[in-house]
Amino acid sequence: MFTEVLVGLVIAGLIFFLVQRSKKQVLTTEDGWWGAGAAPDDGEDPTIRPFKVTTSDEELEDLYRRIDQTRSVPSLEDSQFNYGFNSQYLEKVVSYWRHDFDWRRQVDKLNQYPHFKTNIEGIDVHYVHVKPKNLPEGTSVVPLIMVHGWPGSFYEFYGMIPLLTEPSDQHELVFEVVCPSIPGYGYSEAPYKKGFDTVSAARVFHKLMRRLGFQQFYAHGGDWGSIITTNMAQMEPKIVKGLHVNFAPPANVGLPIGLSIMLGRRFPKMFGFTDMDVQRLYPCMEKLVVESIKESGYMHIQATKPDTVGRGLNDSPVGLAAYILEKFSTWTNHDFRNLDDGGLTRNFSLGDLLTNVMIYWTSGCIISSMRFYKESFSQGLNQPHAKIPVHVPTGFACFPNELLHTPKLWVKQKYHQLKTFTPMARGGHFAAMEEPQLMAQDIHNFAKTLEKKK
Amino acid sequence: MQRLDFIKQAFLSLKIGQQQQQQLLIGSTLAVGGILAYLVHKRREAKTIPLGEGWWGAGEKPLSEDDTIHPFEVQTSDQEIEDLYERIDRTRYTGSLEEGCFQYGFNSTYLKNVVSYWRHTFDWRKQVAILNKYPHFKTKIEGLDVHFIRVRPPHREGQRVLPLMLVHGWPGSFYEFYKILPLLTETQDDLAFEVICPSIPGYGFSEAPHKQGFDTLAAARVFLMLMERLGFSQFYLQGGDWGSLITTNMAQMKPQCVKGLHLNMFVSKKGLKMLLSLLIGPYLPFLVGFTREDVRRLFPYLEKNVYEILRESGYLHIQATKPDTAGCGVNDSPVGLAAYILEKFSTWTDLKNRDLVDGGLERKFSLDDLLTNVMIYWTTGSIVSSMRFYKENLKTNIEKRVDSRTGVFVPTGLAAFPGELMHCPHSWARTRLRNIYSYSYLPRGGHFAAFEEPQLLANDFVQFVKKVEVSPFIF
Repeated sequence: MFTEVLVGLVIAGLIFFLVQRSKKQVLTTEDGWWGAGAAPDDGEDPTIRPFKVTTSDEELEDLYRRIDQTRSVPSLEDSQFNYGFNSQYLEKVVSYWRHDFDWRRQVDKLNQYPHFKTNIEGIDVHYVHVKPKNLPEGTSVVPLIMVHGWPGSFYEFYGMIPLLTEPSDQHELVFEVVCPSIPGYGYSEAPYKKGFDTVSAARVFHKLMRRLGFQQFYAHGGDWGSIITTNMAQMEPKIVKGLHVNFAPPANVGLPIGLSIMLGRRFPKMFGFTDMDVQRLYPCMEKLVVESIKESGYMHIQATKPDTVGRGLNDSPVGLAAYILEKFSTWTNHDFRNLDDGGLTRNFSLGDLLTNVMIYWTSGCIISSMRFYKESFSQGLNQPHAKIPVHVPTGFACFPNELLHTPKLWVKQKYHQLKTFTPMARGGHFAAMEEPQLMAQDIHNFAKTLEKKK
Repeated sequence: MQRLDFIKQAFLSLKIGQQQQQQLLIGSTLAVGGILAYLVHKRREAKTIPLGEGWWGAGEKPLSEDDTIHPFEVQTSDQEIEDLYERIDRTRYTGSLEEGCFQYGFNSTYLKNVVSYWRHTFDWRKQVAILNKYPHFKTKIEGLDVHFIRVRPPHREGQRVLPLMLVHGWPGSFYEFYKILPLLTETQDDLAFEVICPSIPGYGFSEAPHKQGFDTLAAARVFLMLMERLGFSQFYLQGGDWGSLITTNMAQMKPQCVKGLHLNMFVSKKGLKMLLSLLIGPYLPFLVGFTREDVRRLFPYLEKNVYEILRESGYLHIQATKPDTAGCGVNDSPVGLAAYILEKFSTWTDLKNRDLVDGGLERKFSLDDLLTNVMIYWTTGSIVSSMRFYKENLKTNIEKRVDSRTGVFVPTGLAAFPGELMHCPHSWARTRLRNIYSYSYLPRGGHFAAFEEPQLLANDFVQFVKKVEVSPFIF
């Protein structure tokens, strides 16, 4: 009799435990208010206003004057990009900026897609909204939100937008794309209150999509965008149909990841490591630890003293360009540190790079963009959302020169429904801007896989 | 006693002849004696680090170098001041977060106050005159123009004058010592000092190195050469921040020249001893050589020493990896430069200043003094080269460098200020600094001790020197 009771209890316990585990955790969050002062009684203004990027003679003259008055400091002999942005190459970039770069033309390029602003939780959120046109009969339109990171902007996606929104014979699906600016970046207003982190951004973007009338949508992101869209999936797993990311740093190093680091070199097959995985992860002290330390100084200072480090950059366009473009060099390929020109124009055009810099310059948002680091790391690496896995179908695009290489095993630790994992032939951290074709193709494939399943 | 008997018994019971027993006894005594003598000798033997050599000028090294010492005067011009004002007027401010105080860095509301003072009240020409009240010089060493001031005390009957070099750090300058200089040179005491305050190459009026690799060892060698060129064969050294590491290196390179080394910032090597003392210290401090004051300043260890350092070392991380990028913008924007530098004068004086709307900046310093220091960086455009010093020293593991593995044997005096970034108890300092004559807990003061509490630092320094002068060779 006693044994039966015991067995019964054990089985009950097991069932309970299993049921608990399958109850999928959802990221909970509360509304915030980020405007200046106290929230008004009647709440926020939900209207959507069209917006156009504009410039003026004044803005350009001020920029040119500041560029002309730059006090440059020569780099050390033979240091290339190892001490940061090389001064000789910086002079070339600045000369182009001053004499050849046409901001008015770039502004027209920015305005080729419709921009809007709407007030959410007290701040004006800017976004680009591209609806597909000339749809042949029976094409279904899939809504997609694409979120940028730092030091990028919505402009990084301009290469991909036509590949996603224009119907073509190659693809079955057509997307309706929304590219917002993270509050504090570019044309989105910056929060006035402390605490605006990735979870807040995720909640604001959910409200945006709801306001635009979307009940379900896909999400894509890289850098901060990948974490924000992941948070969106964690908050509303039923609303985010599919999540596509190209950057997935592991938040928790559990047993599987730890073991794979220790034994993966000897037994790659055991952990599903490909040749590329082994090459990018080992020697792991050098590649994982030392490289991270070498490249994370900006993150450390931005996560602690954003107002201090950003102050000078908001006055000095050349300083701002050096700070931002150094990332576009080094994060595209670490080996570019040994090149005199940082390999900057191998994968990007100076026109595109400077357009991105101009978005930061003309909106004066560098400090608020940096604050995002402090807000999002306020609890260190122990954020609640780091512990919740993602149950939304996910597609991962694995680019060879991404800052932190994550093999399939590692991605699966957090993204429990990994549907596609695509190792790419080339591309670095700014993959959307560097390889728009590859990225767009992967999004198409991923969405098709999910849509087919219906 | 019993043990001794037992050994004697064991020895005697060995079945060997009388003669052999004697031989064994003599042999082992000699051996033990030899080992002891060697150990004592080794302790006495002051190890040095190699002097090394370098050339930091642009291009190739010429056959000969001009070693004359030229007088130098700090100058300014209408142009310089107008350019500064124009840039200040064109500053593009970003508002601080509500209730952010100094937690996110320099608060923008207070920054506007500082800048307004700078623009309308601060008199740079007057400050330049103050800078020039002591004689300045420049001389070429290893391809670089090294700047320094030389302050001779007025002649007083019966007063002994000892030579002393004071070395600054980042983001300071030789100007930090202007308050302590009169206390050391114009004293009525029987002891006064002839003081040399150089600028580290790459800082202020000293030329910046053109080649990679200029670290504290190079700076130490350059300063030793400077003292030699000025005719000093023996002298005292005092330093904080980078100055403390440079002066320590100087004492390790030529201990015969350094009569005494006084530091207000010092760190210890991590090791088993440190770990053990951290674990046992809070409960049984006396067992690991901690005083009550040590315990008060060190614990809770994780919070004070690990988390706080993480919070405050972002600048160190970026400067040690990408100095050219970090410095580019602040060299164009005087307000950006001021915010960057003055944030340290706020936070490193007292960490609690981060919770104040004005960062507590003017509690211990005058805006005139703070801005003069900023102007030295601004007018010389030396912020980038000053930041590079971090990368040159930290790009390889500094704990494996020869100076970290070598002891310091010259008479050393340590002044532990309560607001200093990291507290280092006497028991830890002793592992590397082998000849500590004096260790003092100062009642108040932070990282910029010479600037903030010149009297306290001067007092401690003088009492240390007096101890050394009385008995220079105690081990």
